[in-house]
Amino acid sequence: MKNAVLSVGAQFPEFAKKAVVSIEKGKEFYDISSEEIKASGKWMVMFWWPKDFTFVCPTEIAEFNKHYQDFADRDAILIGASTDTEFVHLAWRKDHDDLRGLQFPMLADTSKSLADELGILEENEKIAYRATFVVDPQGIVRWTSVYDLSVGRNVKEVIRVMDALQTDELCPCNWQKGEATINA
Amino acid sequence: MFATNTQDTAQQILQVVGLPTAEVPAKLAALAAVDARYLKDLKINITNALEAATLPKKDAYLLGLAVAVNEKLPTLQAGFEQLALAAGATDKEVAEVVSCTSLMNANNVFYRFRHFVGKEFYTSAPAGIRMSIMANPVVGKEFFELVSLVISALNGCEMCVTSHEDALLKHGTEQQRILDGVRLGAVVRSLGVLL
Repeated sequence: MKNAVLSVGAQFPEFAKKAVVSIEKGKEFYDISSEEIKASGKWMVMFWWPKDFTFVCPTEIAEFNKHYQDFADRDAILIGASTDTEFVHLAWRKDHDDLRGLQFPMLADTSKSLADELGILEENEKIAYRATFVVDPQGIVRWTSVYDLSVGRNVKEVIRVMDALQTDELCPCNWQKGEATINA
Repeated sequence: MFATNTQDTAQQILQVVGLPTAEVPAKLAALAAVDARYLKDLKINITNALEAATLPKKDAYLLGLAVAVNEKLPTLQAGFEQLALAAGATDKEVAEVVSCTSLMNANNVFYRFRHFVGKEFYTSAPAGIRMSIMANPVVGKEFFELVSLVISALNGCEMCVTSHEDALLKHGTEQQRILDGVRLGAVVRSLGVLL
């Protein structure tokens, strides 16, 4: 089988999905759309995992949560996603000690349409690979990483990538003869 | 849902350098009130500088301590001292970094004068400044050199910067570590002006 993962330079697909944002009664769900994210003018970091209620996932998700503030400092909206439904997300979040305090939305790609458009669906089970996308404020994918189902991610690497993408040396000290003037 | 929320950034910066968060210094507080954007840059600069892969925690905090001493910021000095001790530095090492910073403040002025003027008498006459602590530093010769370089870079003595950089390379120090050290000095000073 051939899969084409959406990669650097591509426009991130439009989407509108249910997400779990809290375990407080009445405030559990939120409709997230690509439109709202674009309107915020921020970056987006979307990371996927294969299935709720499995082992590697909570460790990894808790690690992303630990760095929630680092993403916020870099003007990035952090979103976790899988092909489970919002009700499964909520149940898992309530069930697991490490997940109750999550600060980012858990997106439910129940129809698998977004995972499919991103090209990250595993052939047999139709679940998402451990993919991570960094999307700039213009909605363009600037970094993609895809790990196989059993391989955990290094969140610090994602932050390093964000820094590298965002840290332009705007200082004229770095200007070299012959270059065009600096565009801030 | 995705609105910017940054009122805590100033406090997070203070925390990273071991300062009490109960009272935010006036200049930081003023920025926090209106312009959170730079504070985020500052926080990222500080945390990245302190977490540089070539600088073990102890080294990073001792360098921060040297900058605080050089910039005459006693509260920041106390903050970095606590962090350095917690990261395994000894009292002797802390005292030595403070001493080295003091000595560099003499040398930076003196040698800068020499290279500014460039006349033979000044260059060939003995310096007449005691520097016995350079002989067998408890922090090790390499780290002593790194502290000397960072402070010289802050104080702007070209001769000191070029000679300490050269000495570090001769010790086998990676250029990346030298760059990370100087970046830490630069970035901590940028925080210092807001304290």
